[in-house]
Amino acid sequence: MTALSRGARVLFLLGAAVFFGLPLLWLLLAPTRTADDLTTGSPLGFGSLGNVGDAWSHLTSYNDGEITLWIGNSIIYATASVALALLLCVPAGYALAKHDFAGRRALLTLSIMTMILPPAALVLPLYLEMSALDLTGTVWSVILPLSFYPFGVYLAFLHFRANLPDSLLDAGRVDGASELRLFWSVAVPLARPAIALIAFFGFVRCWTDFFLPFVMLSDDRTFTLQLGLMSLLQSTGAVNNSSGFADLDIHQPEAALAGLVAGAPLLIGFVLAQRFLRTGLLAGAEKG
Amino acid sequence: MKTLTTPRPPTAASAPAVTQRHRRCPARTAAVWILVGPYTLFLVVFGLAPAGYALWTSFVEDGSFTGLRDWAAVLHDYRLGDAAAHVTTYLLLWLPILLLTVLSLAFTLHARPGRATSVLQLVYYLPGAVTGSAAALLWLFMVSPDSSPFSPLLDLMGIESATDALSGGSVIAVLTVMGVAVHAGGWIVVLHGALNALPKDVLEAAQVDGASAWRTMWHVKLPMVRTYVAFVLISSFASGSQVFVEPTVLSTGAPGQISPTWSVNQLAYVYATQDGDFGKAAALSLAMLAVGVLAAWIVITRTRMYATDSSDSR
Repeated sequence: MTALSRGARVLFLLGAAVFFGLPLLWLLLAPTRTADDLTTGSPLGFGSLGNVGDAWSHLTSYNDGEITLWIGNSIIYATASVALALLLCVPAGYALAKHDFAGRRALLTLSIMTMILPPAALVLPLYLEMSALDLTGTVWSVILPLSFYPFGVYLAFLHFRANLPDSLLDAGRVDGASELRLFWSVAVPLARPAIALIAFFGFVRCWTDFFLPFVMLSDDRTFTLQLGLMSLLQSTGAVNNSSGFADLDIHQPEAALAGLVAGAPLLIGFVLAQRFLRTGLLAGAEKG
Repeated sequence: MKTLTTPRPPTAASAPAVTQRHRRCPARTAAVWILVGPYTLFLVVFGLAPAGYALWTSFVEDGSFTGLRDWAAVLHDYRLGDAAAHVTTYLLLWLPILLLTVLSLAFTLHARPGRATSVLQLVYYLPGAVTGSAAALLWLFMVSPDSSPFSPLLDLMGIESATDALSGGSVIAVLTVMGVAVHAGGWIVVLHGALNALPKDVLEAAQVDGASAWRTMWHVKLPMVRTYVAFVLISSFASGSQVFVEPTVLSTGAPGQISPTWSVNQLAYVYATQDGDFGKAAALSLAMLAVGVLAAWIVITRTRMYATDSSDSR
């Protein structure tokens, strides 16, 4: 490779890194600065940690600390959905991988179909169904649909099929273990890494979901952080000064901090679980 | 789990099937349904029933059959044409740029593996962590010349405020840039992984034959990963056609600039919530669902990206 083409290659990769990285770097720095400094200073300066504290106290004073309520809601909904999803996915993936039963092929195909289907495509039909059941506005209208997680089933299915030898199960059968016992005492302990991966992806999905809670929930005290962020933007004009109420102490640094809090669990998770992540992406190509 | 990453060739059912699978006894059948039953219930209630109920709602109102009335009403809504045009333009702009970004970065990274490769992949992937309303918030800042680190670029394009950047047709440009930033990273990781899984001897043979890096990419690597490329394209098409969140949240930053019925899904949402017309909402969302199902069907039957049968396990 000539020096010229190597130079072009490095330039291209770094240029792309700037495009992808710069917005995040800005988001990381913005809460450390004051609103004035953000508009007049250099775009990528560092302010002070004290400013972060100020921005946070402004945020928590918004509507009597609604932001902490939203964070709590996000955590509760996501945890409940992931826990329920694991209870459903792991046994189903195991049965699909290790047992033959009537309807197995149909169940697997339907799972893959619904997994590839963009989640947004089912949101409005789900809303109509939930209205008919009179469940809209309740936490169940968010938690229950989110705990149907076909991608998790597919990951569990792949894992058990590739990594759990039939001979191991047969040995257990010879020892007189029941089928359920085999699942619980042999399969589950060996699948811990896969279960962690499913939990991680499930959490990412629940935490970032916007459309479903947006359609289902109307009371802002039941909002997730993602929804709260939008209502914060709507009522304060933190981004665009031409709208909203200027007397609230919510400006660019506060909005940036709220956005950062919304992204933080995933940013941290992505950095910590890099190798993990690659496996999952390759196995089923989650569209997140 | 690396063995799972290559697309599966159409294998003959020659792999030895496990004998236990074919012996069914009542106790075992009961156990299987205890394992798989709860999930099946959720699949039916939250995967199939919504579609079925929407179909019912689009034809029946208060117990009486309304025929194609709701479907015709949707079709004759002047807002549908606008929304469909917006989504189509967005897809025509976003899909080629996304694909080009993903392909060029994955191939450039793969051409010379180095220590920086995984760091760069992470940098490309991280914007995927800031999605939904946080992404819209972030990109509102990025197109506000006051605060944006890209302000020289915005000046160059004559954009003086966020409202400017979101007026008229430029919404689509902002959505495109945002969509590429959020989605490209994940696909780069997938494609780079696929390139890494290619058989080394073929690539070496190309090198021995004196093929340039460019020719190797174009004539050897690209054909070998074309299933993945098709997969990226189809699933991005499916998710892009459902666009809802981004225009919804962006419009809060620049009130009055983006129509509340900008995309097709937004129109269906307005039917369901503002108009309270469930029949029309059902009809339109079913049409959108059909687009998604069609794309999923093509992925399953044409690309062999997913294993639907255990006989091809290794």
